[in-house]
Amino acid sequence: MPIVEVSGLNKTFGSGELAVHALRDIHFTVEAGELVALLGPSGSGKSTLLLCMSLILEPGSGRIVMNGQSVYDSGATGIDLRRFRRENIGFIFQANNLIPFLNARENISLALQLNGRSKRDATRRAQELLEYLEIGHRAESMPANLSGGEQQRVSIGRALANQPPLIFADEPTAALDTERGMRVMGLLRKIARERNSAVITVTHDQRMIEGFDSVYHMQDGRFVDAAEAAH
Amino acid sequence: MDLAVKDIRRHVGKFIATIIGVGLLLTIVLVMNGIYQGNIADGVWLIENTGTDLWVVERGRGGPFNESSRLPADAYRSVAATPGVARTGPFIAYSAQREIGGASQQFTIIGYDVFGGLGGPGRIASGNAIRAPHYEMVADDKLGLHLGESVRLGTRSYTVVGITHLAVDAGGNPLVYLSLPDAQEVLYQQDGRALVAARAAGLKRLELSGYNPEQAAKLLPLLAGATDTISAVLLRLAPGADAEAVRARIRDWLYFNVYTMDEERELMLEGRLRRMSAVLGLFRSLLVVVSIVIIALIVYVLTIEKIRSIATLKLIGAPNSVIVRLILEQSLLLTAASFVFAWSLVQLIGERFPRTLVFLPQETAVTFAVMLAGGVLASFLAIGQALRTPPQLALGG
Ligand SMILES: Nc1ncnc2c1ncn2[C@@H]1O[C@H](COP(=O)(O)OP(=O)(O)O)[C@@H](O)[C@H]1O
Ligand SMILES: [Mg+2]
Repeated sequence: MPIVEVSGLNKTFGSGELAVHALRDIHFTVEAGELVALLGPSGSGKSTLLLCMSLILEPGSGRIVMNGQSVYDSGATGIDLRRFRRENIGFIFQANNLIPFLNARENISLALQLNGRSKRDATRRAQELLEYLEIGHRAESMPANLSGGEQQRVSIGRALANQPPLIFADEPTAALDTERGMRVMGLLRKIARERNSAVITVTHDQRMIEGFDSVYHMQDGRFVDAAEAAH
Repeated sequence: MDLAVKDIRRHVGKFIATIIGVGLLLTIVLVMNGIYQGNIADGVWLIENTGTDLWVVERGRGGPFNESSRLPADAYRSVAATPGVARTGPFIAYSAQREIGGASQQFTIIGYDVFGGLGGPGRIASGNAIRAPHYEMVADDKLGLHLGESVRLGTRSYTVVGITHLAVDAGGNPLVYLSLPDAQEVLYQQDGRALVAARAAGLKRLELSGYNPEQAAKLLPLLAGATDTISAVLLRLAPGADAEAVRARIRDWLYFNVYTMDEERELMLEGRLRRMSAVLGLFRSLLVVVSIVIIALIVYVLTIEKIRSIATLKLIGAPNSVIVRLILEQSLLLTAASFVFAWSLVQLIGERFPRTLVFLPQETAVTFAVMLAGGVLASFLAIGQALRTPPQLALGG
């Protein structure tokens, strides 16, 4: 059974002459543990797709089923969206959005505590994740004192914290140099393989997608095939 | 996780500045509470210290402290003759402003029968009560006088034989005790030149009314105002006497007003202290409102500064309760810390404050509760803003 099933998804910003059709009739399935890349030029709708799938943005029409639950069916389906997100989706974003007044470990343990873990348990698990991401020695550092790569690893740790079946990453390497970017991508691959989380990551760098299971190209809010995208 | 405290650690300066600012406003509120209760305590003490059972004052007047009252000095004898009365004493009280110790000072002079015992000074810190019929005084330490010092009041000098501590009237003015005749003299006696001037004015008035100078000179002494008056008669009932009966007798036969201790206390609270209470109440409310507005603005600023973090919290699935708690805790923390600051400051200055301060625990508790409620109110603006913030905000930039 697929972990994500998107069908007939549309999203329009604005209306009338100013309307921007950011997503047009998207059909899309992701299997558990699948490593997916979304490629496309700026403005093609990649971010919008991730935001709609995670219900941060309300789509205009279509259906989304995730982890066996209908979360959108041309309208809200009545589930507690924040709770669903907390339990099922981990996010990694382009910009650093760690909580600046919490140190690296607290940023991760917060996500765990929000999901009902005790403080002790959450702290222990956050430390484990930092070790896994090879930044265990930076646990007590505040985000402002971490390098871009380290910040991104903490974000990844936070996304992984509740072992969600789905991880969305929107240009996680954009703020990093190529070498660090490659390492972060390698980490996402490792996560998909070792933890059986489906990873959907947006990038516009072809070199980063080595070893991915599926690659989708987007243009003007549509999926297009690779040959078409090349033009 | 204590998000509120962790966030505040980044803004220690702002936080402390707010606590000091709001704390000082709350200090004023607490001091106002203290002054008001202190006035009541002082006023009540003044009344209770006389050790009297009934107060006899001029008919139709609410004296002797809230309204001037004049009785002929020998009224205490006629009151003493009333059945059921064990002892009486003449009493005079009036406010004065004279030069003492090189500065013009306001105080209340109390004259009493130094041998009868009723209405004499209390709270004597050093020295003793007046023992001689003339030229001795007991003064409160607020006047800055010392034992044995000689003080000029009117035409004569008085020796300080006793110093009181916290013996003040309901307005916080220090008390000066004199023997009854001395107090009357200070009140009425004028120096030589003033007498000459008053005499000249009197003669002129008579001459204008058609009397010749000879007649006028004869009439003048008869027209002089009575100076042998008192403000009240203090009265101690005989054991087993019926206060109501004594009171009715004095009222009906001697034609004076008679108050019980409770009524006299009521007069003080109702009359003199009510307006003060209204004024202080207004100021206290204004200060509390200003404090709450300041806290609201600071909490709002702190919230706007972390609005992206709040959006991130929503993004990672934090329920609204977590966000509300974060803001509410900061607001309450600010409120409580400011209150504690104010309370500590009041403890520090309390002793050195120039007025009697009395703090009732329940009044302090109510002030604290009002401030906490205000702290909750103060967070609404910021909470509204935070709840309206879309999670996408965390993605921008
Ligand atoms: N909040 C928004 N309001 C209006 N238009 C938007 C908004 N977000 C995105 N768009 C538009 O939708 C289109 C797709 O944007 P986006 O999904 O961010 O593209 P990508 O991530 O592929 O660069 C763009 O034309 C963009 O201008
Ligand atoms: Mg984008």
